[in-house]
Amino acid sequence: MTRQGRPWLPYTLLTVALLFLILHEAGALGPFENLLGLVVAPVERGLSDLITGVGNLFQTTRDVRVLQQQVDELQSANDTLRVENIRLREQYVAENQQLRELLDFKSENPTYSLVGADIVERGSDIFPRGKVVGEDTNPYLRYFIINVGSRDGVAVGMPVVTSGAAMVGRIAKVTSHLSYVQLLNDPSSTVAALFQGSRISGMVVGREDGSLVMTGILPDEEVDENEIAITSGVGGLLPRGLILGQVESVSYQEAALFQEAVLRPVLDFRRLEVVVVITDFNRPPVEEFEEGP
Amino acid sequence: MSLYFGVPILLVGAVLQSVWLNKIRILGGRPDLVLLLVITWAIIRGLNEGTLWGFIGGLFCDLLSGGPFGLWTVSLTLVTFIAGQRWIHRLGPTSMRLALVSGLGTLLAHTIFLALMILLDYPVAVGRAYATLIGPAALLNLLLSPFSFRFLVWFHQRTPQRSEVNL
Repeated sequence: MTRQGRPWLPYTLLTVALLFLILHEAGALGPFENLLGLVVAPVERGLSDLITGVGNLFQTTRDVRVLQQQVDELQSANDTLRVENIRLREQYVAENQQLRELLDFKSENPTYSLVGADIVERGSDIFPRGKVVGEDTNPYLRYFIINVGSRDGVAVGMPVVTSGAAMVGRIAKVTSHLSYVQLLNDPSSTVAALFQGSRISGMVVGREDGSLVMTGILPDEEVDENEIAITSGVGGLLPRGLILGQVESVSYQEAALFQEAVLRPVLDFRRLEVVVVITDFNRPPVEEFEEGP
Repeated sequence: MSLYFGVPILLVGAVLQSVWLNKIRILGGRPDLVLLLVITWAIIRGLNEGTLWGFIGGLFCDLLSGGPFGLWTVSLTLVTFIAGQRWIHRLGPTSMRLALVSGLGTLLAHTIFLALMILLDYPVAVGRAYATLIGPAALLNLLLSPFSFRFLVWFHQRTPQRSEVNL
């Protein structure tokens, strides 16, 4: 292959590369990406396993390994308990609220005969569990790659959580064997949220520096530090009550229309190994969104 | 034909970039393995083979990205197009030329990448990207270029070369 022999080659490749970008933006590259993804996915998974295995061999002494394991277990237990605690608080606060409303209803309608009942069935979905196999090669996006794809029922927009109910992010792109998860702190990520205690609503967005911020809080609202931000479920795209983060600080500038709360994520996104994709959940009826408050 | 070993090398390079190098932090940044390999090959084999490697390396990187498909392909093809130019090969001894093109090529590839992301409306903190990501990556690629050169020269010597480039 010589430059003299094929002078058109570099220009053709440049044109094709630009065409890829244009066709991707037009949404016409899906089948091509899926086809090439079939080649990449097994290599990605194989090398991921190999690197994990080799990494384990480099643990120098048994003690270090045992200690590390204990620290990991304690950390994991701590994370699980924290998440569980928040989840239970959410559950009981909501339940308490519902019971109070029922009590009010009973007091306001003393002539009614009422029978209490529990919801016993909310559907039994089996959620695909994905192992984190790699990070995005684009260093300006906060995405990671998991080893479940469209053949496992995963689709774009589905929420991704860890054990408990801590939200990790959403599915941004799917091939048959792999999915790309956009983390909560990606600069393009936006989630409708509310604070668990005060029920103040806003939007949780990622920032370019990797921080997580709740915006759109009205200036007269009082936000306590350590409040928990959860998904509000508004729009029906995400389930209500997934944990997003805890308030670290609140800022408000006179010139700004809204307050902002910097959130401390409840998870260390870099340490995630296994996640769960929520493929379906009970959405509130459409009328709830149409009627408004 | 360099693609017999080029395709597997670039595929493994892209996957390593995704599963291993993203966990590594040296001097606050991490090397760009695929970028380094394609620039080195463009230096060794010239324009045609360089851009071909840039194109294929970019394809593999794009396949391992949830972002717009084509960002890496355009950036790497364009950078290898420049690195493979004849005038680059008159810039001095190979080692110096290699280090210079690896460092500057990394800066250029990321600049093209950032410009395309901004064009496509992705929020990017440009100053922060240069300070924390692109600068360290350029320095690391410059430092690692002799290793990638030695590695690829081994393949270069075992494949027929009909290119006009003299090392």
